[in-house]
Amino acid sequence: MPVITIDHLKYKYPGTDRLALDDISLTIEKGEFIGIVGRNGAGKSTLSQAIIGLVPQFYKGAYGGKVLVNGVQADTCPVAEMCEKVGLVFQNPFNQLSGASETVYGEVAFGLQNLGIPAEEMKQRIEKVMKWLDIWEYKDRNPFNLSGGQMQRVAIASVLVMQPEVIILDEPTSQLDPEGSEQVFHVVDQLTEAGFTVIMVEQKMEKIAKYCNRVILMNQGKVVDFDTPEKIFSRDDLEDFGVTPPVFTKACRKYGLKRPDGTYPVVLEEAVSSFREGGKQVETVIRQKELTKSETVFTLENLDFAYDTTKIFQKLNLLLDRKATAIVGQNGAGKTTLVRLMKGLLKPGAGKIWFGTEDISGKTVAMLADKVGYVFQNPDDQIFKYNVLEEVMYGPLNIGMSEEEAKEKSLKALELMGLKGKENHNPYDLELNERKMIAIASILAMDTDVVILDEPTIAQDYPGRQLIGHMIQVLSEEGKLVIAILHDMDFVEEYFERVIIMSRGKILFDGHVEDAFSQDAILKEACLKKPYYTELAESI
Amino acid sequence: MSSFSLYVDKGTWLHKLHPYTKLLYILVAIVIPIIGGNLYFFLITIGISLGLLICGRTLRRALPLVAFSFTLIAVIFLVQGLFYHDNETVLFQLWKLTFYKEGVLYATRIGGNILNMLLSFAVFVLCTSPQELVEELEKSGFSPKFGYIINSVFQIIPQMMKSKNTIMDAQRSRGMETEGSVMVRVKAFFPMISPVVMSSLVNTRERAIALEVRGFGRKNPKSYLSERTKYVGDRIAVLVLIMILAAVIAWRVVTCL
Repeated sequence: MPVITIDHLKYKYPGTDRLALDDISLTIEKGEFIGIVGRNGAGKSTLSQAIIGLVPQFYKGAYGGKVLVNGVQADTCPVAEMCEKVGLVFQNPFNQLSGASETVYGEVAFGLQNLGIPAEEMKQRIEKVMKWLDIWEYKDRNPFNLSGGQMQRVAIASVLVMQPEVIILDEPTSQLDPEGSEQVFHVVDQLTEAGFTVIMVEQKMEKIAKYCNRVILMNQGKVVDFDTPEKIFSRDDLEDFGVTPPVFTKACRKYGLKRPDGTYPVVLEEAVSSFREGGKQVETVIRQKELTKSETVFTLENLDFAYDTTKIFQKLNLLLDRKATAIVGQNGAGKTTLVRLMKGLLKPGAGKIWFGTEDISGKTVAMLADKVGYVFQNPDDQIFKYNVLEEVMYGPLNIGMSEEEAKEKSLKALELMGLKGKENHNPYDLELNERKMIAIASILAMDTDVVILDEPTIAQDYPGRQLIGHMIQVLSEEGKLVIAILHDMDFVEEYFERVIIMSRGKILFDGHVEDAFSQDAILKEACLKKPYYTELAESI
Repeated sequence: MSSFSLYVDKGTWLHKLHPYTKLLYILVAIVIPIIGGNLYFFLITIGISLGLLICGRTLRRALPLVAFSFTLIAVIFLVQGLFYHDNETVLFQLWKLTFYKEGVLYATRIGGNILNMLLSFAVFVLCTSPQELVEELEKSGFSPKFGYIINSVFQIIPQMMKSKNTIMDAQRSRGMETEGSVMVRVKAFFPMISPVVMSSLVNTRERAIALEVRGFGRKNPKSYLSERTKYVGDRIAVLVLIMILAAVIAWRVVTCL
């Protein structure tokens, strides 16, 4: 008997005309690991939330059809009751902390207390789960003081202690750094081994291919296909649905390396075997037209910086020319501090920062606003207008552009970021990935010589990533310096010429992207993973 | 900054006392000078509170509160000493200012009340875990929803304050001026406050979902990680407080006869 049965499910959010879920019928067996893929807005999260009953109980709206979890109807069983059967972990680790406890131990206990589990049983369950997920050592720490990866593991533990039959992971690593993501995927490994029924929404197709028995491909609220990862990722029309296959599948398709059933390999090991058996080699990655402009834009000279007594940089030296530059490294490596110094948001303790031939060490942020643009990670930290065009024009007008010029540049920036036609929308009505594009456009419209991007690919699907990649190419061709802090190594390999690897306030490597990913010792020291494509090439 | 609770667990006997015992102390400390009717009772209760803060090793944390209250008390002395409506008897003169006995006595009573309340509340706030207080209130029938609001205030608001700085940086990066004339500051207000409010609303919605999927809305009785073991100090403290209160009432009755 299936653990989940979905029968002709239809759903529409309040105040919208389009069906977010359009006649979905499927069954999921106990112990299966199901992946849900599709472009942003395809209905992946909505479907997840329908399984636990948040849709329609929390969001309201028009609902039809039926979702049964072990025979219990999800739309009528209160979510607070359904949580014993279905556990949900979502993207933002911070917002999943209840805020009701000063300790991680108390945070994990929160759900059990609500269920009314006796104290002794609670303690046993908490200890077992926390030790299993390797977070026992944090039990007395304040959950808000943990890193993103640690917080997300606490969120998973908080759900697991309630012993649900199904666990839904809705893009659990999209807001984490590589180390945090690995910590979460290590937990996913453990869930797989323990035989849980897991449903995972994820944009990292290599991970979907690795873990899932079956994959649901969604588009515009409909289930386009529900099959094995090999069959789904071998579809010729996959990119029409905003999904790109795993790098391994792409490489095998390029060389015509099929499996006996006519599909392409989806995981590293199988792809490597196919290449070996076929006697093929992969080509090095084809990147954008490489630039050789060497005019120095930024010069950091003997830079010292400390937060109170914690020293971050000591005698740091760096030259930045106009090559698109990615800064990579773990949280706490000093990446954000470095770009904040260049933007004037922080002042160096000692040393100088030159912008061309001008010493900007003492300049304020506002003074540098027309020279250096900085896109913050979270678009909601800046959006305040109720009209997309007005929001984008705010920066250009602040730096003294005329109304006409600001409008012209804003429209151009919006078009570049794929928002043409949405100029008069309210930004708050758009999805997070689109709000991120607004934030980028609002900086591009300022037409600064330097554009700094902090984690631009977070929450983006494949089309979104391509759009951002294209924007980086366009800016580089216009002669602007693009600097990006990134955790997505495949994106770095595809769109950047120069890579700076940082760890604990030091620059471990500064050079060409191809050389960067051949530095095994440095990558290990900086806790970075190689891009999947490089991994494949090296394994072959 | 992870919490703006003033409580720090120093593990003293005062920290181990039941929150209700410490609430009883506040009541007794406030009531004694009222029943006693004599200014000397303020000296006694303020002295006891200071003694308790020393025992709880939290006197240093209470000093900023005391310092703040002294500013207020000084103003009261100045206003009442000079302008109290029953002022008749000159007490002293300072430059051209004449202070009256009636006004100064009245100000002493108000000041004593302020300091007494402040210090007795400090004993409670500095030595009681908000989480423990909420848990005990819930066990006594208090709504878990109100309990959650109290607890989360200590945890979530400091995080919201952190995000305010990021928002300010994001807007300054787009050329927003934050320094200068009143007009410049007024113009900076909306770009600052709107993202703070909107991101708080988004976070609140997500947190509401997080609470719901962890059974927060269930109707069944909640369970607790630990039952409080009965602390002998509580009995002694309650007994002593009741005896003190009884003694003051008796003293007052006797002196009135």
